[in-house]
Amino acid sequence: MDKLIYFILVPMVYIASGVFVLGTIVRLVKIFREPKHPSPLQIYPEKKPAWLWAFVDTFTFPTVRRHKPLLWVFLMVFHIGLLLLIIGHLELFAEIDLIQIIPHNIFLGGGWVGLLVAISLLYFLFRRLASPVRDLSVPEDYYLLILLFLVVIFGSQMDWARSWYFYEEMGVDHYREYLSSLLFFEPYLPAEITDTGHSFMLVIHVFFANLFLIFFPFTQAMHAFLSLPVNKLRRG
Amino acid sequence: MDADTRDELLKLFSSKLNRAMRYYLETCTRCGVCVEACHVHASMGQSRYIAAYRAEIVRRIYKKYFKGRGRLWPSVAEAKELNQMAIDELFDAAYSCTGCRRCMVYCPFGIDTQMMMGIAKLLLIGASAEPEILTMLADMSVEKGKSYETSKPGFVAGLKRLEDDVVDKWRLEAGRTPIPTEVEGADLLYVALAGAHSIIPAAAVFNAAGENWSLSFFEAVNFGAFVGDPTKTKLILNRIVDEARRLKVKEVCICECGTAYRVMKQLSGDHPFSVSSITEVHARYLRANRIRLDKTKIRGTVIYHDPCQIARNGGVIDEPRYILSQLTDHYTEMTEDPTYNWCCGGGGGLVALGEETLDFRMKSARVKAEQIQAANAAILATACENCHTQLGDLNDHYELGVEVRFLSSMVADALVP
Repeated sequence: MDKLIYFILVPMVYIASGVFVLGTIVRLVKIFREPKHPSPLQIYPEKKPAWLWAFVDTFTFPTVRRHKPLLWVFLMVFHIGLLLLIIGHLELFAEIDLIQIIPHNIFLGGGWVGLLVAISLLYFLFRRLASPVRDLSVPEDYYLLILLFLVVIFGSQMDWARSWYFYEEMGVDHYREYLSSLLFFEPYLPAEITDTGHSFMLVIHVFFANLFLIFFPFTQAMHAFLSLPVNKLRRG
Repeated sequence: MDADTRDELLKLFSSKLNRAMRYYLETCTRCGVCVEACHVHASMGQSRYIAAYRAEIVRRIYKKYFKGRGRLWPSVAEAKELNQMAIDELFDAAYSCTGCRRCMVYCPFGIDTQMMMGIAKLLLIGASAEPEILTMLADMSVEKGKSYETSKPGFVAGLKRLEDDVVDKWRLEAGRTPIPTEVEGADLLYVALAGAHSIIPAAAVFNAAGENWSLSFFEAVNFGAFVGDPTKTKLILNRIVDEARRLKVKEVCICECGTAYRVMKQLSGDHPFSVSSITEVHARYLRANRIRLDKTKIRGTVIYHDPCQIARNGGVIDEPRYILSQLTDHYTEMTEDPTYNWCCGGGGGLVALGEETLDFRMKSARVKAEQIQAANAAILATACENCHTQLGDLNDHYELGVEVRFLSSMVADALVP
């Protein structure tokens, strides 16, 4: 069991990060090196400057707001929440000053961000279980949602335990110790991380997060990087 | 399907894979925002007519043969084999899509379903499963481009017979030709369709505006684009491009044909001439006071159907409205936002297929018929041959009781000195 936990918390994290970074770069380079489409693909009426409107489309989803307002609310909550969670994780690298701009309690939002993201994911999942979106969906769509839900729910549980139930055995300092050791390639697992009541949560959280990172470059999750250039084509 | 055929088809598939196509194939999250976008789905309700569903039929083959996933774990994204069943599905998707790109207005990424249907249409050609009529029509156009010198005398003689009708609409000074051809250094080369209705009113307006124009020997319509054959599309297009270069014209004006306009405007590359639609040219004449119109000629409420390839996909939105403001005081919009105008249901080659698609065209454009009915108008104007035919069919089928008219002929009929 110790070996399995070690594998998930150390080698698998390296493998997942490697697949994520390299896979994403290779896939993007492959796409960007394809020849450009010879003719314009925009729709009208046009608004200038096109690049600015492409940004607006990419980050505020105006077409969803207009046609599916409820979905838009959950999409905004989900994507902003995800961004905050990513920032929260980056802030765990205490050694990097650049990302510690405002000193505050990690994580942002006192547990609510994770809860809102989890609820949004459930909404997406249930929405996908019903027709007509079900008719469009492929297994990948469900796998990704379920995987993300598992990552978020186990991760949030650790956060909730600290902020809502005053669970103190495993805390931010221990995460920091563990993550920084990984970053500097001197892997070290504090006992609090592996041998306390909530270790199980952390191991499962890291395991599913690893799986998600490994899947990322090969799935539609790549829309995170492709949305802007696609939207630019529509804007001209 | 044998392995060689499949390899050939996959080669055709990969010939379509440029950067934009990769974006479109990789980005869709199947979020379902496009569900309400397609007029076919809105009219008939089946999921296979949702834009993302159509695209997914192409995407599944892509995943099977162009992605590692398709080999390692095909079920995860439902990668699908390219076989006869897939060909049937591709046909159903491609020839129920009119290429109106209304779904692009809904999609959070702006995925172009028409472009992905381009893959489907090319695969159908490769499998000899495309509608034969379209290929035949395309071949005829290509042939005509090769041998136009021999058909020239017949064409010119035919034009002679139309001259009286042109002069009826607009009297010329003595000595001037009502329908000039082969005018070197003309300011404008007009590319019409085969049919007097596309030549007579246009000629009258050009003459009224005192335009130095010339009529092209070729018809504007591009059947190569309908059937989705890039080589034939280019050959058909080049006949006109070559003629325009030979005559050293400044501007090529495309008649009321959506596909022809879009192909010439967006696919023909850089040329020493500009490209415009006849609607743009008429609006220009009116703004410059080169022609004047009599508002009493048109009676009753007028609505305008935006041809998708000219408006949403070509950007000609304000011009027809300006023309109509000079033609009548009783113009009303069918939709608040022209971007959301329903497609007539006849694009993508469906009208060219005639009776064969009539039943589907009527069923799939129910929402368009309802939109027209709700406007409660006397005259339905449009600026595209395909739309005109389809709207006429809808008018008969749904007993809409409107008069379907070409905008250009309304202009010609209202000309005043």
